[in-house]
Amino acid sequence: MSAGSIPSGKVRDPGYPTKSENYLTNSKGILSWIFTLDHKRIGVMYLIGVVLAFAVAGLLAMVIRLHLFQPDGAVFSGPKANDYYNQVFTLHGAIMVFLFIIPSIPAALGNFLVPVMLGAKDVAFPRLNLCSFYLWVAGAIFFISALCASQLDTGWTFYTPYSTSSNSSVILATSGAFILGFSSIFTGLNFIVTINTMRPPGMSWFRMPLFLWATYATSIIQVLATPVLGITLLLLIAERVMHIGIFDPEFNGDPVTFQHFFWFYSHPAVYIMILPAFGIISDLISVHSHKRIFGYRFIAYSSIAIALLGFLVWGHHMFTSGMGPLTTIIFSALTFTVSVPSAIKVFNWLATMYKGSISLTTPMCFAIAFIFLFTIGGLTGLHLGTLATDLHLHDTYFVVAHFHYVMVGGTLVAFLGGVFHWWPKMFGKMYSEWGGRIAALIIFLGFNLTFLPQFVLGSRGMPRRYATYDPEFAYLHQMSTIGALLLGAGLLVALVVLLHSLFRGKRAPANPWGGATLEWNCTSPPPFYNFERAPIVGDPYDFTTIEWDGENERYVTVDPEREIAPEEKPETEPAHAQSDH
Amino acid sequence: MPVILNQPWTLLADKTEDYAWFPEAASTFAAENDWLYGVITIVCVIFFIPIAFSLFYFAVRYRKPKGGKAESNTAHNTPLELAWSIGPSFFLVGMFILGAKAYLNHRTVPDGARDIKVQSSSWNWSFDYGGGTVHPELHIVVEEPTKLSMRSTDVIHSLFVPAFRAKKDIVPGRYNYMWFEPTVASRKVSDEELAAAKKKMKDLGEENWNFDELDFTPDGYTYYDLYCTEYCGLNHSEMQTVVVVHETQEDLDAWIKKYSMRGENEDPADYGRKLYSRRGCSGCHSLDGSKRVGPSFQEVFGNKRPLTDGDVVVADENYVRESILYPKAKVSAGYQPVMPSYKGQLTEDDIHSLVEFLKEVSEYSPAEVVAGDPESSNEEKPAEGKNATDTEAK
Repeated sequence: MSAGSIPSGKVRDPGYPTKSENYLTNSKGILSWIFTLDHKRIGVMYLIGVVLAFAVAGLLAMVIRLHLFQPDGAVFSGPKANDYYNQVFTLHGAIMVFLFIIPSIPAALGNFLVPVMLGAKDVAFPRLNLCSFYLWVAGAIFFISALCASQLDTGWTFYTPYSTSSNSSVILATSGAFILGFSSIFTGLNFIVTINTMRPPGMSWFRMPLFLWATYATSIIQVLATPVLGITLLLLIAERVMHIGIFDPEFNGDPVTFQHFFWFYSHPAVYIMILPAFGIISDLISVHSHKRIFGYRFIAYSSIAIALLGFLVWGHHMFTSGMGPLTTIIFSALTFTVSVPSAIKVFNWLATMYKGSISLTTPMCFAIAFIFLFTIGGLTGLHLGTLATDLHLHDTYFVVAHFHYVMVGGTLVAFLGGVFHWWPKMFGKMYSEWGGRIAALIIFLGFNLTFLPQFVLGSRGMPRRYATYDPEFAYLHQMSTIGALLLGAGLLVALVVLLHSLFRGKRAPANPWGGATLEWNCTSPPPFYNFERAPIVGDPYDFTTIEWDGENERYVTVDPEREIAPEEKPETEPAHAQSDH
Repeated sequence: MPVILNQPWTLLADKTEDYAWFPEAASTFAAENDWLYGVITIVCVIFFIPIAFSLFYFAVRYRKPKGGKAESNTAHNTPLELAWSIGPSFFLVGMFILGAKAYLNHRTVPDGARDIKVQSSSWNWSFDYGGGTVHPELHIVVEEPTKLSMRSTDVIHSLFVPAFRAKKDIVPGRYNYMWFEPTVASRKVSDEELAAAKKKMKDLGEENWNFDELDFTPDGYTYYDLYCTEYCGLNHSEMQTVVVVHETQEDLDAWIKKYSMRGENEDPADYGRKLYSRRGCSGCHSLDGSKRVGPSFQEVFGNKRPLTDGDVVVADENYVRESILYPKAKVSAGYQPVMPSYKGQLTEDDIHSLVEFLKEVSEYSPAEVVAGDPESSNEEKPAEGKNATDTEAK
């Protein structure tokens, strides 16, 4: 079996699953999917769901960019033009945030990977897991129909009193977000319990793959922060129905209180979006550099640090709203502390690449793009955390560019990297490597062309959420729109490459990239029971025993030949057996 | 620092303006702010270039065919990691301190600053210059600290003057303050240029002054943009006005006088037309019958108006007056109750002028209603016959 290039030793490879083992084919019919308790199938259903949500919100983004091609608006015209534009950007933001970015990595990839990475059969509460998926579906339907039916145009932030002054749809929309929130809480709870209790013998906390650390940190935020969104909703309903006077200035309420409540959830939610991306990139960089991750403990601890510090910085969304100067300055100081753990990770990833053995596969291309884009996103956060410059940049396109660099250049690119990395594991097919790389390149270029000009737009004073704008901003807006079309084309190429592989792709080996974590120890796709027997838990980042098998185009684990204990008996009697002992 | 940032762009010849990093620097905040922005940007570049370089360099330098082994498997290096964890913090502390200091300067209004009251409502601005003079443009004097005392009548707005690098939200239910000191005065264009522009606007049949085309106000001053930057609904992107910085107090006084009240012999309807465009009516009420946020003035006066509560009223002087002062009392069917109250902001003469203006632009004959008893026109069921009675009574 072993090719000439493989050093001698015991080659370990699980081979391929039979049709009755493969989790995708072991049971048939739509009902076997609807009522499945298999975390892998739930993960795949989540994947389809979030990709659909992304497609809808992405098309809305295209409409926004096309409209802004002309200062007076190129898409919508007539007296309702601004109204349509406002509804479109509200839908774009709300769907992207609540239906795509928050569940994308934890729910879709996390569901598939967490138990497999732990060598477990399933998550701790499989029924709760299915329940959380259906809550997501119900929440999504409820949320989108609430947004569309009431023509909500408040932006995804629902700021009072605008959101309460014209109609009551904001309650319906927040209810949708609330249902989605429960889905998020259930998933987080499930992962916390799974990771705490189901780690196999030998997998101590510091032998977990970093993706699990990131998922764990994310789950903590999901469980602690999401209930605040529920409280906000209850207060909003109480305000509207009973006029308790907390948000509405007409009843002596303070609209800024709503902003505090909203960002107390929504700022930690930003870390729900980015932390799992850090986890994916840590794994991708290490596996495709075939080198031990550098500074494992620093990366793991920094995830937890971000999760905790992320709760203390919500006030930086309100620097211009008229908080007291001392409060404002304290929030600015806390905001700067969050940047340190993120910087640590970037340095550690670079150190991991240093003196590695880098394969420029599609997932690695996405990981490199991620580091580049996330670094820009992170560094421009410094302009916004600094109080004086924020007074100029707040609510301008600079902010839009900054958070798109972090959320799209960061989370979306990491999500794509993760999907390309685990695609062979999920569906058992290899995609066109060149197709994937070209998609990554187009996305990288298109993304930069879209959002770099927006930094300049912002520092020049272009306010965000404007349906029409002064003609002096037109050049930069047009650059941005062309970039968005390119970005859209890149995403389409990526989709085509992946879908094509399902029908024409080569059969994937168990370990196509040379990963050392447990998911590469089961077949691609995994059998419905994941592992026949509990796998041997090694160091997740020890690549010394993983060898490339060129003949079969796969990586295999080569265990050194073990010496058989000497068969002959010792001639002399051992000391402890002597009678005078 | 902005000079350094701008240099690469100057190579783009006459397009420089359009690609500049910053708008014109026209307040005392601008220099410090742009300097700080430059410092942060340079620190970012100092970090970013090595990161991006090593990212791509490593990707090429350590690229190996499949099966290659890493040259090193160092797991960690605690001194190095502590260095890059703690090292950047010094830069962060520096940025924080510089930013906070400059921020306190933004927040501390100097004694003796000129106080201008600002009222924002969806989607227009009113600046109160005292003595009943209210105008949608902000006019101030160069090198004089100016304080804005701001309130909102409906939702949250935010006042942003990019050229001054100053921004503050305006939250309903409280006063918010901001201040700045302009350093560069507006230029006054020649009378010929102004006359030519006015003629052009008239020829094109533009209802409002086109600030997109012209870089000066109807009074002939160059201006700085003033934007609303907190999303406030439908016409948020049109909630813009201009700031004019006068050379001298005398110049400003002369300008204020021009807008203080109706001229001695000015026709009320003509003055009403000015108020219509100046006080924000034109944002929601058209004159040509097209439906905007509010009903078109073409169809209001003298017409029978169905209300949201099912009643019908005849729009006479008292109805118009009530709608200006208490807009939510009787809302026309098909419209949202979003108009802000103008109570205390318009003099009796102003309201009279607006009523006369409405009569002029209305397509309904006012005579029918004017003669009627004001009480009767407000009755609950003014059916067809009722109107006829009014006419007969005349």
